[in-house]
Amino acid sequence: MRKRVGISSSALGIAAAILVSAPIFVYGQSSSGTAPSSSKAAAKTAGKTSANPAAKTQSWVAPRMADGHPDFSGYWNNLTFTPLERPAKYGNREFLTDDEMKAVFKSGVKGSFDPGAQGSEDRYGGELFNPDSVDYDATTYGLSPWQNGIQPNSRTSLVVDPPDGKIPPLTAEAKARLATRTTPGGGFPYVVDDHHGGAVVHADRAKDLGQNTSCVTQSGGPPLIPAEYNSGLFIAQNPSYMLIETEQGSEFRIIPLDGHPHVSSNIHQWHGDSRGHWEGDTLVVETTNLRPDHTYRNGDFTTQKITETFRRINAQSIEYKFTIDDPSTWTRPWSAIAPLNASTGPLFEYDCSENNNDAVNILAGARASEKKAAAEEKPISQK
Amino acid sequence: MQRHFRNAIVGVVALAAALLLPTAVRPAAGQVSATGQAPAAAPAAARTPTPGQFPPYRAPRTADGKPDVNGIWQAFVTADIDVQDHDAQAGPHPDIMGAYGAWPGGQGIVEGGEIPYKPEALAKKKENADKRMVVNISSDPHRHDTGDPELKCYMPGVPRANYMPFPFQILQTPHAVMIAYEYARALRTIYMDASDKSIPKEPPADSWMGWSNGHFEGDTLVVDSKGFVPYSWFDRAGDYHSDALHVIERFTPVSPYHMMYEATIEDPNVFTRPWKMSFPLYRRMEKNIQLVDFNCTEFVLDFLYGQYSKK
Repeated sequence: MRKRVGISSSALGIAAAILVSAPIFVYGQSSSGTAPSSSKAAAKTAGKTSANPAAKTQSWVAPRMADGHPDFSGYWNNLTFTPLERPAKYGNREFLTDDEMKAVFKSGVKGSFDPGAQGSEDRYGGELFNPDSVDYDATTYGLSPWQNGIQPNSRTSLVVDPPDGKIPPLTAEAKARLATRTTPGGGFPYVVDDHHGGAVVHADRAKDLGQNTSCVTQSGGPPLIPAEYNSGLFIAQNPSYMLIETEQGSEFRIIPLDGHPHVSSNIHQWHGDSRGHWEGDTLVVETTNLRPDHTYRNGDFTTQKITETFRRINAQSIEYKFTIDDPSTWTRPWSAIAPLNASTGPLFEYDCSENNNDAVNILAGARASEKKAAAEEKPISQK
Repeated sequence: MQRHFRNAIVGVVALAAALLLPTAVRPAAGQVSATGQAPAAAPAAARTPTPGQFPPYRAPRTADGKPDVNGIWQAFVTADIDVQDHDAQAGPHPDIMGAYGAWPGGQGIVEGGEIPYKPEALAKKKENADKRMVVNISSDPHRHDTGDPELKCYMPGVPRANYMPFPFQILQTPHAVMIAYEYARALRTIYMDASDKSIPKEPPADSWMGWSNGHFEGDTLVVDSKGFVPYSWFDRAGDYHSDALHVIERFTPVSPYHMMYEATIEDPNVFTRPWKMSFPLYRRMEKNIQLVDFNCTEFVLDFLYGQYSKK
């Protein structure tokens, strides 16, 4: 009997040890956002506060995976009112005052009702997307920004390096490349302003509509940049892999975290070839092997390297930073911080090619216009 | 009280025994030994396996104690051509495709051999097969009336995604099991946390890859999916379903390198009774294995929209 008790108590010990070491997983969107964890982890997190006044680091401890590394799993949204490049009026000022930040946020929320406000200097889309794109009033789809977890951002621009908040000048080589609208290495035709109804250069065939409208690729990066709608992200992570799903186009990237080497340079992928490694609590993801016709901002696929860092800074956000190193395109590397804000799930399937009415309607419209123009050119006797 | 105590001890011992039972380690791609260690002595000669039979096996466990189904997997059946028995055939356009376009023959994966179609549904399947290459893309739902979705690079649906001749990756977390398919970069989220109130249990909208809830039964990952659009097919032979499709899949690890896949298909609009299909999935073991792009939308643009192109 004593012996049996002895066995069972050691078994209890083993069971207890296993239970104690069991990982605790908490999703980013959890409203409580707290998880019991070690005081060591708490101490690590407490030392890092964000410039973002929304940060609440006091009672929050970053969720971790079984192997002790931070867990970024959950639903996120990177919609923002902060422009990529710093508006001239801020000069070299990196941060807004509290009042300015509130005003920018208020005007951003108001602007989401006003399609005309999209593409203004103060909006992220102003520089990056087609300013004439007026067809995405966020509220049309019930996607008001505040419903997607958008958070105020105290920065005057997403670009944080160079310190002037501007993307560095293009190299002479890149200027020549962009002027000819050719794609280094061939591939998909070069459509700079690829947008619905915006700047389709010509519409002879579906490829002319560009990668976005033809549903070849719509999102996913790298880098992760906000779309005008459907800026939802889902991250699923275990110790070996991180999967990032972007709702726009339902695209995904799977990032190995075990440090195995990149694929050969003969392989080119829409989202490149990403590898992650840990530097303390920061996940560093390096991406190479981009396609000639799908680099970030029409860079050079042979030289473009994108480095992303993910760092949990509070219950509401991941500090997401990307650095673009592409010496044949920009005179120096540059970096931007585009926070990922906690959101709620689920993401919905985006069946783009399966229901691509735009491709049919734009091409059919172009043919109808040509037919009409041809008829008008004919002599009256032939009409 | 005493009996209570004894039962508790017995329970704890059983729990300990279960925890101490040697559990296989998930094999790493490219490694010969499942444990990654050199055997201390020469191993006993293995027996030649008998197809269809696996010795008793307990799957490795993840950190949260669930069977570990992570990995890159692939089916090696010809069911994408026809889930039922079929002969090899020339395939479309042998005049230009030669043997490149030929389709291999194969034995079916349907339990009992025949899909139990309702008579009118069988006629529709035959019509599908006859018109599988007739594609007429319009800006309305009639775009889906004809043509095999695979030919158009549309999402493959369920269960077809699992036996396309492409690998897929299972990425397991405590909350969700992600299944990422190389073919047409289709993605499924299997929701594993029944207590998560933020995720609907019933499909909030119809989709190509369906709405999936999962749980483990022993070593088996059981996935219950519905909320499908009625447009996906099961194969190039025109086998199809309606939006009443309900699929229950069972992924059961049977060796470090194999999972048995079984799907029960229910659709009272199309079939007279539920039916099953099954086949093994094989772990891809190349040491550098990873999914690569097969974004076939790029390859079919002129095929889909050529009728609207400038002549």
